[in-house]
Amino acid sequence: MLAAFANPVFDSQRTFRELLQAMARPAVPRLLPVLPPSPAPIAPAAMAILLTLCDATTSVWLQQPDDNVVRHVRFHAGVKLAEQPLDADFALITDPLSMPPLDAFARGDMRYPDRSASLIVQVTALGASPCAQGEAGRGSLTLASTQARATPPQPSPASRGGSRFAGPGIRDTETVAIDGLPHDFWQQRAALAAQLPLGIDLYFVAAQHVVALPRTTRLLES
Amino acid sequence: MTYNFAFLDEDTKRMLRRALLKAVAIPGYQVPFGSREMPLPYGWGTGGIQVTAALLGPDDVLKVIDQGADDTTNAVNIRRFFARVAGVATTEHTVDATLIQTRHRIPETSLREDQILVFQVPEPEPLRTLEPREAETRTLHALADYGLMHVKLYEDIAQYGHIATSYDYPVLVDGRYLTSPSPIPKFDNPKMDQSPALMLFGAGREKRLYAIPPYTSVESLAFEDHPFEIQRWEHHCELCGSRESYLDEVVVDDRGSRMFVCSDTDFCSGRRAEAQA
Amino acid sequence: MYVAVKGGEQAIARSLELLAEARRGNTTVPELGLTQIREQLRLGVARVMQEGSLYDEELAALAIRQAAGDMLEAIFLLRAYRTTLPRFGYTQPLNTSAMRVRRRVSGTFKDVPGGQVLGPTYDYTQRLLDFDTTQATTVEPAEAPLPANMPRVLDLLDAEALIERIEPGSDPEPTDLTREPLMFPADRATRLQNLSRGDEGFLLGMAYSTQRGYAESHPFAGEIRMGEVDVVVCPEELGFAIEIGSITLTECQMINQFHGGNGVPPQFTRGYGLAMGEGERKAMSMALVDRALRCDELAEANYAPAQNQEFVLSHSDSVEASGFVQHLKLPHYVDFQAELSLLRILAAQHAARDDEQPLSAAGGQA
Repeated sequence: MLAAFANPVFDSQRTFRELLQAMARPAVPRLLPVLPPSPAPIAPAAMAILLTLCDATTSVWLQQPDDNVVRHVRFHAGVKLAEQPLDADFALITDPLSMPPLDAFARGDMRYPDRSASLIVQVTALGASPCAQGEAGRGSLTLASTQARATPPQPSPASRGGSRFAGPGIRDTETVAIDGLPHDFWQQRAALAAQLPLGIDLYFVAAQHVVALPRTTRLLES
Repeated sequence: MTYNFAFLDEDTKRMLRRALLKAVAIPGYQVPFGSREMPLPYGWGTGGIQVTAALLGPDDVLKVIDQGADDTTNAVNIRRFFARVAGVATTEHTVDATLIQTRHRIPETSLREDQILVFQVPEPEPLRTLEPREAETRTLHALADYGLMHVKLYEDIAQYGHIATSYDYPVLVDGRYLTSPSPIPKFDNPKMDQSPALMLFGAGREKRLYAIPPYTSVESLAFEDHPFEIQRWEHHCELCGSRESYLDEVVVDDRGSRMFVCSDTDFCSGRRAEAQA
Repeated sequence: MYVAVKGGEQAIARSLELLAEARRGNTTVPELGLTQIREQLRLGVARVMQEGSLYDEELAALAIRQAAGDMLEAIFLLRAYRTTLPRFGYTQPLNTSAMRVRRRVSGTFKDVPGGQVLGPTYDYTQRLLDFDTTQATTVEPAEAPLPANMPRVLDLLDAEALIERIEPGSDPEPTDLTREPLMFPADRATRLQNLSRGDEGFLLGMAYSTQRGYAESHPFAGEIRMGEVDVVVCPEELGFAIEIGSITLTECQMINQFHGGNGVPPQFTRGYGLAMGEGERKAMSMALVDRALRCDELAEANYAPAQNQEFVLSHSDSVEASGFVQHLKLPHYVDFQAELSLLRILAAQHAARDDEQPLSAAGGQA
């Protein structure tokens, strides 16, 4: 069995502060300070989020619930596993190209829109534009993760392509490239926007970075 | 026995952290949370204390103010609490703080992106005095039906000629949720709009959290012919001479003589030090 | 010259010293021992445990001593201690039918199987101040021990189908109010949880109001019982039940008239109260308020304060109420200054209007 955070109290505190800033400043990559060991296909960054936020009172839906993954997540975070995406407080998407549609997850109800899912999506790269990395967008996780580590994301790489976002937390606009999502992902997300304040909140991870997109962040036409 | 770092157990911190992230994701919306009994009384800042405890790390520098001042007894007590249970560095200087917990004021000194402001909130529901039933106010928020508040403000205008709300003046966050700015004077409301710093609000007794992310529209309710206005004084601070800050009125003798001084003690002493230099 | 108020830190330190001195009182008088408090102030200990939501006589006694006998302060101390205790699990439902009864009375039948058992009660003491309690009392042992199992009085009515039936295990899994915020509408299990840690004085007043016409209340004390009940846990990893000890409980089942409605035939209905330790007044008040709060479920008119669940449940907690009432002691200079400025403007405008229209006051304003 792999270990978890070496120092649970302080590692989860530091991770949380980055997640909070990520959610408060959407589309800006943040560096996760501690990467715990994690069994494939869970990325260490995704494991850091699970360990920071999940416990016996949260239900987690795993897209690829391999036995050793389930054992690891249960042992270290004590989470309840959700049978259906709709029942999940958190969902871990380890293979975005085959992920369920976004509307398969809970979006809350009008009186309690917070009773909605948070998705942790392991993407192939964050920050750098798809063009700059050639066809690597659909490449293997390991390869792309290495690339992402080799090229740390820039806060606003507007000149290098990527998508432009606006909304609460963003002063003007913010540009970031999120690689390795299903081709209709942004259409699906835009369709959900009509239901605001209902919605789902997203954490994208690649290598050591996390980018959050709360439900209120709008993708601008490029 | 010993308490955990920052007093709260890790399960409680995780619960708070999940709620805070949802609060940031839905600006101005009140997230219910499993508020704990803290070693300080409800109504004395337990919501803010729980938020601060969920945020706090060993590298933080904490400032606590009450009525703008660092040396009021409750601010001293909360600062003492965190110094004791978390051993964190504390400061009275706004610019040196990473976390600022406040009751009733926003510091005069502009906040930065790397700072977080935590408000203690006695009553998170801006509609509560107009509609006491929680089941009902939840529905009004769901429908974004804020007619009650508009009628109340309009009745003020009809009766007094202007809006007679001087503190806890309601704001609309991101054009969606009517939100209580906690009872800060309306003088401070404009500081919330497009603030570089994240603002988190904790109501311990009412068991609600909410947030205003940075760079978010925060609009104080008003009417076209009755625009929002902040308090102005004919006086200036008698200690530092400021004409821009919020002033406390102090009775200085038996004959009821008054003087006016800055409510923000750090701002005031900073200006005095500058003047002497 | 005005000097800004400084030295909050020293003021607090001095205040704590004064408090410690006042708490201890005259040091020539021996300090109260925790065992003395547990043994001789057991009803106070019980109340602190009930409303402190923690069954621990030793800690409750410590809290009472530290709070100088201020029960609400002691309750607060216990709550603040329990709040961060790790949660190992939840017990099985307590089986009060199997209570080892020390007191049991029913107001509905002259005699019941197992009999009426007065036990230790203040009910018939005549309330004459007893100026000499130093004489030790010896209790003659009973001729026969009480039956090990006393059926609950309401189960007798249940056999005749005259009282509403509540199937064991039919309740939803209760939420844990010490972990989850109270939401409205709250189901009965949640309401009972709130009431059981609610302030006794508040519940007493609410219960009293239902008897004076502020709710449809026609109660009979079906049964009040006090005694010891085993606490059983069933850890998931073990898969079998283990008894971890026993606690003292007071249970009250009220029987209330009901003329039928909402598809329910005319029958007796129940109001339920449960308190840790000996807490008969609390359990009875709770049972009356519980029944009043069932008005919507039973299609009764909902008009009285005790029937309004938001009103009752939001204001029942002494720690919340005491904190918020007393927070008015904190400085409110800033808000007060804001109101002062506003009032000066309003007063000036009012005076200006009066000057312009000296006769308008006589005309009366809408």
